[in-house]
Amino acid sequence: MGLVQRAIEERGIPTVGVSLQRTATEAVRPPRTVFLRYPFGHPFGRPGAVAEQRHILLDALAALVKICVPGEIVDLPYRWRRTDFAAAASPLRPPGERWWSRVA
Amino acid sequence: MTGLLNRILVQAFKHLPWLGEAWARRYPFLRVAGIPWAPLRKPLAECRLALVTTAGVHLTNQPPFNMVEPEGDPTYRAFPVDTTRELLTITHDYYDHTAAERDLNVVLPLERVRELVGEGIVGGLTATCYSLMGHIDGRHVATLASRTAPEVAGRLMADGADVVLVAPA
Repeated sequence: MGLVQRAIEERGIPTVGVSLQRTATEAVRPPRTVFLRYPFGHPFGRPGAVAEQRHILLDALAALVKICVPGEIVDLPYRWRRTDFAAAASPLRPPGERWWSRVA
Repeated sequence: MTGLLNRILVQAFKHLPWLGEAWARRYPFLRVAGIPWAPLRKPLAECRLALVTTAGVHLTNQPPFNMVEPEGDPTYRAFPVDTTRELLTITHDYYDHTAAERDLNVVLPLERVRELVGEGIVGGLTATCYSLMGHIDGRHVATLASRTAPEVAGRLMADGADVVLVAPA
């Protein structure tokens, strides 16, 4: 996965990856990653959990704006089946910030 | 028997994170030089987003990924981003896709990205999604790195992608 991400970035398109295995990501060194301590098969959470899926997706997209150091991996703090996504704070998206309307 | 053993392994890797960690620590990853970097040039609200998945998703009428080849299938499938759910399926024996079968957004959040486009958070979507199978090993790692990945990257360029989200399984 990281190899594909690297190839896309090499062509000049900014990329972000979601990782479920940090050691593998550290080895392949893709440019921007959000790491989630979730089981394989669940990079955006649980079936039907719209708030959870949206939250993780928004974090990944915010990483495109917020990560300025090549290779940075942002550890998402969410806990599998424990985090309440109606109340969860994002490490990348402070409340009220229109991060999607700006560049870095 | 092989099928049963594989199913047990898939569940073990899903529920025992240390197993994945032990695998990753021993796996001979392709040695890479440097980290490529393309700066974001415009706000996400003006960007066309493309999605790439390694969850083995494909159209029901496309050839499935090769599950017989032990080193994995280094090919990719392309399908329209607005494909309806019934026309998509998953071929990938190396992760538990029960949840993804119930709700594809778990691995490929097509509905969620459409909502973000509707809200003006994402500028738009490119027309085509690209899908690979994540379980690549041995000689096929080189095939992926030297042939498949650059080809997918070239197609994303041609599609006019401004940013790309790459999601695993």
